Amino acid sequence: MTTEIAEYHTIPPARRRLLIASRWLVQAAIVIVVAALVIWLGLAVREALARKGIHFSFGYLGNIANFSLSEGLVPSREGSWPVLEPFSPSHSNLQALLAGLWNSLKVALSAIVLCTIFGTLVGIGRLSTNWLVRNLCFGLVEAVRNTPLLIQIVFWYFAVVLRFPPASAASNWFGSLLVSRSGVYLPGLVISESAGFASWALLAIAVASAVACIVLRGPRRRLILLAVTISALIATALIGSPLGLDLPVATRFGARGGFALSPEMTALLLAIVVNSSAYVAEIVRGAIEALPKGQWEASASLGLSRSHTLRDIILPQVFRIVLPSLANRYISLTKDTSLGIAIGFPDLFNVYGTVSNQTGRNLEGVVIVMLTYLALSWIISACVNAVNARVNGRGAR
Amino acid sequence: MTTVVLRWLHRNLFAKPFDTALSLVVIPTLAWAGYAFAHWILVEAHWEVIGGSLKVLMTGIYPADQLWRAWFSVATLCAMFGAGLGLSVRPGRAAMAVVAIVAAVIAGTIAAAVGVSAGLLTTVAIALGVAAWIAVHHSYLDQRIVLSGLLAGVVAIFLVLSPPGFEVWGGLLLSVVLTIAVSILTLPFGILLALGRQSRIASLRVISTAYIETMRSVPLILVVYWIWIIVPLLAPDSSVPSLLRGMAGYALFFAAYVAEYVRSGLQAVPKGQIEAARSLAMSSWTLNVDIVLPQALRVVVPSLVGQILDIFNGATLVFIIGLTDFLRAGQMILADPQNSGRTYEIYVFLFAVYFAIGGAITYASRRLEAHLARGSR
Repeated sequence: MTTEIAEYHTIPPARRRLLIASRWLVQAAIVIVVAALVIWLGLAVREALARKGIHFSFGYLGNIANFSLSEGLVPSREGSWPVLEPFSPSHSNLQALLAGLWNSLKVALSAIVLCTIFGTLVGIGRLSTNWLVRNLCFGLVEAVRNTPLLIQIVFWYFAVVLRFPPASAASNWFGSLLVSRSGVYLPGLVISESAGFASWALLAIAVASAVACIVLRGPRRRLILLAVTISALIATALIGSPLGLDLPVATRFGARGGFALSPEMTALLLAIVVNSSAYVAEIVRGAIEALPKGQWEASASLGLSRSHTLRDIILPQVFRIVLPSLANRYISLTKDTSLGIAIGFPDLFNVYGTVSNQTGRNLEGVVIVMLTYLALSWIISACVNAVNARVNGRGAR
Repeated sequence: MTTVVLRWLHRNLFAKPFDTALSLVVIPTLAWAGYAFAHWILVEAHWEVIGGSLKVLMTGIYPADQLWRAWFSVATLCAMFGAGLGLSVRPGRAAMAVVAIVAAVIAGTIAAAVGVSAGLLTTVAIALGVAAWIAVHHSYLDQRIVLSGLLAGVVAIFLVLSPPGFEVWGGLLLSVVLTIAVSILTLPFGILLALGRQSRIASLRVISTAYIETMRSVPLILVVYWIWIIVPLLAPDSSVPSLLRGMAGYALFFAAYVAEYVRSGLQAVPKGQIEAARSLAMSSWTLNVDIVLPQALRVVVPSLVGQILDIFNGATLVFIIGLTDFLRAGQMILADPQNSGRTYEIYVFLFAVYFAIGGAITYASRRLEAHLARGSR
């Protein structure tokens, strides 16, 4: 920058004006060329589509979809209440895309939570003092990072999930987790109709004090809040809890009740969680190693144990360092859900393909899908940046 | 001796109660899993399915009477790999021994699986690679000559493989050739984008940034699929083969990533270098081509090599445009009812090959990093 200004003062005004004018010309030329290219591309595609009798318009979104999806919820209205209901062929194309987005988000959000937890554990494991644990974690990370995600997804689906026992012989874990090739069933929550206001209020108190216990600091305060949580929970249980546990019951062709994961969703989630955990593990390990060694030594000299040091001194600092890299990982993970098409999971990209095939509207569809993915990326980085500003803003350095 | 072992065991496995507990859980599990896996590999697995379908896995539906073209490409690839290795890794005795053992195992396996002649051809190809390695390392050739040689090799492979038609390319050969071609194509485009993003001309900067950020936030599969769709719309009369359309999609996508790597390299060039060049009244072109880029690219070579792994892993997505790469070939074999029970054999083989190639690329990138770091200090 400074050199530029110095340059400017050494040249005579007339030449300087010429230079500025030529810079403007270059700017304008570049903008015009790129704009012309983009417009030409748009027009050419539009014309080609018009030749096939398709005109650029988003009107097709309101048309009836006429195809079904294996899963996915769409926003709809029941009376005056907005509700989510399963997608059916009588819904519109727009609702089909929303169902696809719902499915993508379902996988992405669960994977973000799970891979952060497992990734951190594996990352710590890579620095364990136990030789076996250290090398097992290293082997897992290497195996995952050196093979394509697609083969991992396909492997989990065709070689693991579809090899589960059939529904009639589903393996039952602790009476609450059913595993069969028609899906995985977890215990779900149901709202019991008979519960009165008092039990709802007690449950709200329990949740609020549990949250406060995690957020607030100070061992005494935490102990009191924990006691409140537990006693409120016991009290609700005594007068009739408003939320009941809904355990899945195996039937001939699947299961009834509980919270069901389709085989495709199970495989995609497994693959993405294992894959992203390896990357998160590397991010966490890098951050731990980047911390000054003095931190470990200082806390060791204070007589803190290794696990105590890790929990109270290392991890809080690591959390600050890794946030930007984690944001990148979360964004790639969200994009990776588009590979669900290989195993027939109806994610956004898959549904876009079906809608485009049915209506021939690739141009409009790709605009919508690209904008959706852009928006998802921005939302993820905005969220992480907000958290980053909170933890790194005040007090840090 | 026993005390050494015992001390090692104590320090690494049973140092603390928690470690001991972990070890007591992990060791039996690992022993059981290892035994089960070894038993499956040696006793239960039916490996003849791999031998029977090796041709499909490696070259897809490439016509059998044209296979010499594929063999030529394998030999050229080995020679190119060897020449590239010669630029940075010294052909020491230990490295040679490892190569010899690996080569013997690969050639022997292929000979046992599909025939002696195939095993012999593999041996010749690997020997060619080793010869190129030694030759390049001892000939003190200019790096530019070697790099032009590598480029010529890629062109030669394309020319030799293309006569039967791009649509019959398949299997591992397709994955590898696609990866190499895309890696080379992305480089100039990515460098231009990186320079554009750093440019003093605001419009160029905005456009480059917009391109990079857009490409980085959409899935690869969408870009590849969409380029594949719109090319016939733009040029209805000429039929561009799927492979070339796919390559364009990959190149447009990965160029954005290359641009970001190169940009990090550009930022690593000391400011004084640029100021010095400016004070000598160098033009922007000379400044970038002769001063900045050589230093920037040198810094990012390891990341660019690492990026090749991403492209290779991403190459599995060509199924979306109907091409049959290595993974798809494996799935095709499993679709044959005769092989339906051989799921694990095929997947273990696919994993092993992907892991071997991926591991080699990761290793190369790590070695290069160490090599370049040593040179710069």
